[in-house]
Amino acid sequence: MDFSATYKVLVLGDSNVGKTCIVHRYCDERYYDTYISTIGIDFKQKLINLDGVPVKLQIWDTAGQERFRTLTTAYYRGAMGILLMYDVTSLDSFNNLSYWLRNIQENAAPDVVKVLAGNKCECTAAQRAVDKERGDKIAENFDMPFFEVSCKQNINIEECFLTLARKIREQREHRGENFDEEEQAKSGNMKRSTSNGLGPFTLGNSSSEGRCSC
Amino acid sequence: MSAYKSRLKEFENLIIEDEIDIKKLRKFIHSGIPECAKYRALCWKLLFNYLDPKKKNWESHLERQRNNYNNLIKDLVIPPSCKNVDLSIDHPLSDNVDSTWSTYFRDNETFLLQIDRDVRRLLPDISFFQMPTAYPCKLVVDSETDIRLHRRVAPSVLSSANVERKGLGMKKINLIVKRAPENYEAMQKGQEANWEVVERMLFIYAKLNLGQGYVQGMNEIIGVIYYVFASNEDHAEFAEADCFWCFTNIMSEIRDFFIKTLDETDMGIRGMMNRLVRMLELKDVHVANRLKEQGILPQYYAFRWISLILSQEFDLPDVLRLWDSILADENRFDYLIYVCCAMIILIRDQILENDFEHNVKLLQNFPPMDINYVLNRADQLAESSST
Repeated sequence: MDFSATYKVLVLGDSNVGKTCIVHRYCDERYYDTYISTIGIDFKQKLINLDGVPVKLQIWDTAGQERFRTLTTAYYRGAMGILLMYDVTSLDSFNNLSYWLRNIQENAAPDVVKVLAGNKCECTAAQRAVDKERGDKIAENFDMPFFEVSCKQNINIEECFLTLARKIREQREHRGENFDEEEQAKSGNMKRSTSNGLGPFTLGNSSSEGRCSC
Repeated sequence: MSAYKSRLKEFENLIIEDEIDIKKLRKFIHSGIPECAKYRALCWKLLFNYLDPKKKNWESHLERQRNNYNNLIKDLVIPPSCKNVDLSIDHPLSDNVDSTWSTYFRDNETFLLQIDRDVRRLLPDISFFQMPTAYPCKLVVDSETDIRLHRRVAPSVLSSANVERKGLGMKKINLIVKRAPENYEAMQKGQEANWEVVERMLFIYAKLNLGQGYVQGMNEIIGVIYYVFASNEDHAEFAEADCFWCFTNIMSEIRDFFIKTLDETDMGIRGMMNRLVRMLELKDVHVANRLKEQGILPQYYAFRWISLILSQEFDLPDVLRLWDSILADENRFDYLIYVCCAMIILIRDQILENDFEHNVKLLQNFPPMDINYVLNRADQLAESSST
C-alpha cells in the first residue's frame, strides 16, 4: 500500500502522566502497569486507515522531566499534531498544562493541531483530582478536542489519535492549494534538509513524503 | 591448564597483593572479570576509586565511609517529628522558610515524588528491586512511626475537610497529597524492598546536591551499581553505603550529562553526541552520511545511550560486562563513545538499506547481539585511532 501522507505527532505532558503508555497501547495494542522512564525521545509508527485513506502516523514520545525540555522543544517545529496529556489523579499535571501550552505556542508552528487527553480516567472517585469539567473548560479555551482516556482499560485511545489525525488532515486541506508554494518560499530562507525527522530545521514536509493529499 | 583457569589464576594473583597494581588490574578487567559473580563488586569498588589500592587502608576507610553515610541518613532522612526540635518555632505550620518542616515539604514536592515514581519502575524485567533486602536500614524500619520516604508522597485520599482548608490558604497541605495508584507489594514490618533502598540513596544524593537535584536516568545508573553490590553475599551487608559513595564518585565524572545548562560543553551531553557523530564520520562515512541524509539526529538515540552509559540498551548481564570494560578504561567516556560508534557500525548494512522509520526504530531498540562482539569492535576502533 502506498502511504501518501505522513503525519508527525508529538506527545507532551508532565512525567508519569502515561505518555509512553498511551503510545504503546495505541501502536502495539498492549498495556503494562510499569514503564521505565523515557530518557530523551522515543519513536513509534502506526499505519492507519483514515476514512479510507492510508496514513502513516509518526509518533514521538518525549521525556516529561524538566531537564529534557530543551532537548524536546527543538522538535516542536516539525510536529503537525500534538497530543497534550495530563493525569486526572494529579492536580499538578493539570496545572502544568499552562506551561505546556505556552511552550507549544513559543516553539511549534502557529497552526499546529492539538488534542488534550486526561489519562487514568478509570480511577476511583476518591483518587480523582481533576474533574472532567475542568478538562472541558481548558480544552474549549484553547480550541482543542478533549478526551478522558484510560490506557489501562483502553478507553478513548483510538478516538484520541484518530481525532488528531483528522484535524491534521483538515488543517492541511484548509491551507489550500498554495500550501506547497508557501513551503518552498519558507524553506528557501532556511537550511533545508531532505530529512524526515523532527529536527529543528525540518518543516515537517519533504519532497518524498507528507505531501498534502488535496 | 585451560586458558580460562590460567586467566583466573593471573587475576587472583593480581588481587591477592597487599597493594593492588591498579594499572594492571584495569588492563586485565578491560577484557572481563573472571568469576564475575564473586569478584565484580570488589573490582568495581576499586575502579570507582572507592577502595584504595593499599589493602591496609580498607578497613578504616570503609568504617568511616559507612559511618558517614549513616549520619547522612540521620540528618537528612529522619523527619523532624522524630528529632528534638524547638516546637515553638519549628512546627509543621511554621511559615519560616528555613524551618525543618518547610524544607521537609519542599523536598517532597521538588524531587522526592519524582524519585519515588522512578525507583518503583526500575529494571521491571527482573524481580530484584521488588524483593526485600536482607539488610534493611534499621533506623527506618524499626522506627516507632512509619518514616519510610515513600510514605511522604504516598497516595492518600483528600478528605473534604482538607479541600476546604485549601481555601483558607493552606495550599501546602494540598500539594503534598498525591494520589497516583500504588501498585507494589507492601513490605512487612521490619522489611524493606531494594527499591526503597535506592530511593533513600537518591534522596540523600539530591539533598546533598541541591543545585542539580534529581534527574531521571540517575536511577538507572545507581540501580546497576546497587544490584552488583547487593547481589553479592560478601558485599551485600553494606551495599547501600558503599553504593552511595561509588555513585557519588561516578556522578562527579558524568554530572555534566545531567545538567541542562552544560549541554553544549565538551563533557555536556551535546558535546558528547557531537564527538560520536565526528567519530562515525571518520570511521564509516557512508553510514554517517546516510543518517545525516535521513535527518536522524544523535538526539534520537545517542542521548540515552550516552547519558545512561548504555544501561537501557542491553540485558542486565550484558550491561554489567559492558561496564567492566568501560569502567576499567583510563578514559572511560572516550571508550564509551567508541562503543556507541561500534554499535552503529555493526548494524551498518541494515542502516544503509532501511528507510527513516526503520532506522530510528533500529537505533532506539538495538538488536540483541553478543556483547563481546560489540566490545571487540570498539577495541578495534580505539586501536586504529591510536596508531
